[in-house]
Amino acid sequence: MATNSIKLLAPDVHRGLAELVSKRLGIDLTDIKLKRDPSGEVSFSIGESVRDQDIFIIMQIGSGVVNDRVLELLVMINASKTASARRITAVIPNFPYARQDRKDKSRAPITAKLMADMLTTAGCDHVVTMDLHASQIQGFFDVPVDNLYAEPSVVRYIREHVNYKESIIISPDAGGAKRAAALADRLDLNFALIHKERARANEVSRMVLVGDVTDKVCIIVDDMADTCGTLAKAAEVLLDHRAKSVIAIVTHGVLSGKAIENINNSKLDRVVCTNTVPFEEKMKLCPKLDVIDVSAVLAESIRRLHNGESISYLFKNYPL
Amino acid sequence: MSNIVVFGGNSHPSLVNQICDNLGIKPSEVKLGKFSNGETSISIGESVREKDVYVIQSGCGHVNDNFLELLILLNACKTASASRVTAVMPYFCYSRQPDIPYTAKGAPLISKPKEVYTFESHPGTPLPSVLTTQKPLSHNVPENITECIIESAEELPDGLKQPLPKRLNMDTNLHKSPSQSRIPVVPEREENSSDLGSLFNASNAGYKLWVAQAGTLVANLLTTAGADHVITMDLHDAQFQGFFDIPVDNLYCKPIAQNYIQYNIPDYKEAVLVSPDAGGAKRAASIADALELSFALIHKERRSQLPKGPPNATFTSGGGLPISSHPLLGSSLGRSASHEMSHSSSKYVQTTMLVGDVRNKVCIIVDDLVDTSYTITRAAKLLKDQGASKVYALITHGVFSGDALNRVSQSAIDKIIVTNTVPQEKTIEVLGKDRVQVLNVSRVFGESIRRIHNGESISMLFEHGW
Repeated sequence: MATNSIKLLAPDVHRGLAELVSKRLGIDLTDIKLKRDPSGEVSFSIGESVRDQDIFIIMQIGSGVVNDRVLELLVMINASKTASARRITAVIPNFPYARQDRKDKSRAPITAKLMADMLTTAGCDHVVTMDLHASQIQGFFDVPVDNLYAEPSVVRYIREHVNYKESIIISPDAGGAKRAAALADRLDLNFALIHKERARANEVSRMVLVGDVTDKVCIIVDDMADTCGTLAKAAEVLLDHRAKSVIAIVTHGVLSGKAIENINNSKLDRVVCTNTVPFEEKMKLCPKLDVIDVSAVLAESIRRLHNGESISYLFKNYPL
Repeated sequence: MSNIVVFGGNSHPSLVNQICDNLGIKPSEVKLGKFSNGETSISIGESVREKDVYVIQSGCGHVNDNFLELLILLNACKTASASRVTAVMPYFCYSRQPDIPYTAKGAPLISKPKEVYTFESHPGTPLPSVLTTQKPLSHNVPENITECIIESAEELPDGLKQPLPKRLNMDTNLHKSPSQSRIPVVPEREENSSDLGSLFNASNAGYKLWVAQAGTLVANLLTTAGADHVITMDLHDAQFQGFFDIPVDNLYCKPIAQNYIQYNIPDYKEAVLVSPDAGGAKRAASIADALELSFALIHKERRSQLPKGPPNATFTSGGGLPISSHPLLGSSLGRSASHEMSHSSSKYVQTTMLVGDVRNKVCIIVDDLVDTSYTITRAAKLLKDQGASKVYALITHGVFSGDALNRVSQSAIDKIIVTNTVPQEKTIEVLGKDRVQVLNVSRVFGESIRRIHNGESISMLFEHGW
């Protein structure tokens, strides 16, 4: 009887990523049962013993019922804890409420901090996430947080699927400049920036392009695409400045609200998202969507975490 | 009322307004909404610095959204330098295990809305009275079966000689935690391996399905979010208070309920208070004591299914027992206990039975929570079958999820009395004004907030209500 082996847990919905990770690791997902009462409360049971095991809970949180997912995650963590698991790692590629990370106005909640506290309270020993909106969120936790990067996967995608020698990397806002600049350095490409004046959340007012994009294939890079209003506007601005074509690569394709409509009506050639967020059903509605699979990175980090090996290799390199 | 700020969540705005009316203040301004990706957004419209903040949110409707909204509100107030933050949860969500019925394989049996409901438990409830026409199968039913069983137990081989479960003692039933009986039991052997069957049994025989309890988690989450104090009403388990590291004031609906019985039920002195399960016996008994009414108990239990063999199986055959004022107390219970010992591998079934006499009486079913309404609708049918003249149901938290309201409307319940800890507009709409009475708890909550704010005792509210 093997002691302290990896147990992979995933909820019954949106387990696409978990299945890919499980395949990659060669470990089956643990049988679980999540019940949603008619009243909406969640109850949870694990189909086998997890005593003294190394638990990894893989939770894809997309748009829509975020709060249900969060409560399910907390109940799953707590259940594993009370079932005497040795260590519980929450694998949350798309960290919920990551954008509410500061008091941007009086009495605004810092919900990201609350999420961090709640995960710790539920009994989480370790958190694995990807491309946090602000890496400072790691400091909200009292437990170790591994913030993985989608960058190696994105680099690989660009090399394989885009004529990257004629490309230029674009950051759609000042906040993402660092991320875009790092990617441009990796690919040895030029870099431009769009400066925008934001009126309200999810609304864009005016955009100014800094840099020359003439006759280039523009690759807009961002960590999150929500309603895609920004991306659509940015594409127009870039084409107005004589760009050849525009594609967008985002880590977390939340694609909420009118996102699909916006993409279909926009001048974007392609919108590429990683599979941290479930959007399989949206791909049918929108031919412009494409996927980068990050399950290999997550699987490798789970394997390394379990064996106590260094993770930092994965920050720069795509696992073989 | 200075220095006090009351916020209301999205779950129950009308109760918030009523509580604020009682306090003579206005609910403070807060904008509650959602971002396009489904995350909850809030913004607080006025200063809470060094204020005594109360956040009112009931655990109804879309529970998880409302609960997170409460947590975020509490946290926002805390980080905005409020001096004290109190969570007011008229109905406390996640305070119990679900009582939805399960199949033998452990899958929830959620019924779709139907035209007609039967309210029968399977197998049918044994009827201990003359209402059944069945003749006893055995001629020699001893007068005192209980003794007889205990004697026969002594004759059993050593391996089976276990102490008989003390089912005759009411106290053991009373103190049994209600959640215990609600944990789905999965038989170890499966007849046909369906998905769920193989899920929980095929690969790991012997592993009993274990359902996580969210109680401590919810308590810890509230504390983590920054709650300094919690006010709630009729917690499903009083022990829940112990999960918190902060003070929890559990208000009682009992005074309001008592008041209603006294002034609105004709000839209430002749009524019988009925607890629909053993877990609620204490609650019903305390009202019965205060009003000096008689009391009956409906006992739900899981027991091994009786084999068809023994000729004197009085339990399934139902009729034929000597009728006394305590029809079921002794005899058949003791008998079935012995069967359970000798047939431990047989299937478990759930059955209900009534302890106490309700013939030609007005019955008042008292319970803290109605969710799927399986319990009370079955109880009402059982009471009517036993000759009750009228059945009232007195409920603190009417959650009525799923098709509960349709079940209630077709059930034998003549009138349902429920408080407004959970919005009841839909209940009135479905059942009609005459069949529903909504009791207002806003005064109790208002007064407790006033007293807690002023640092006065609230124990007086437990006894006299408001």
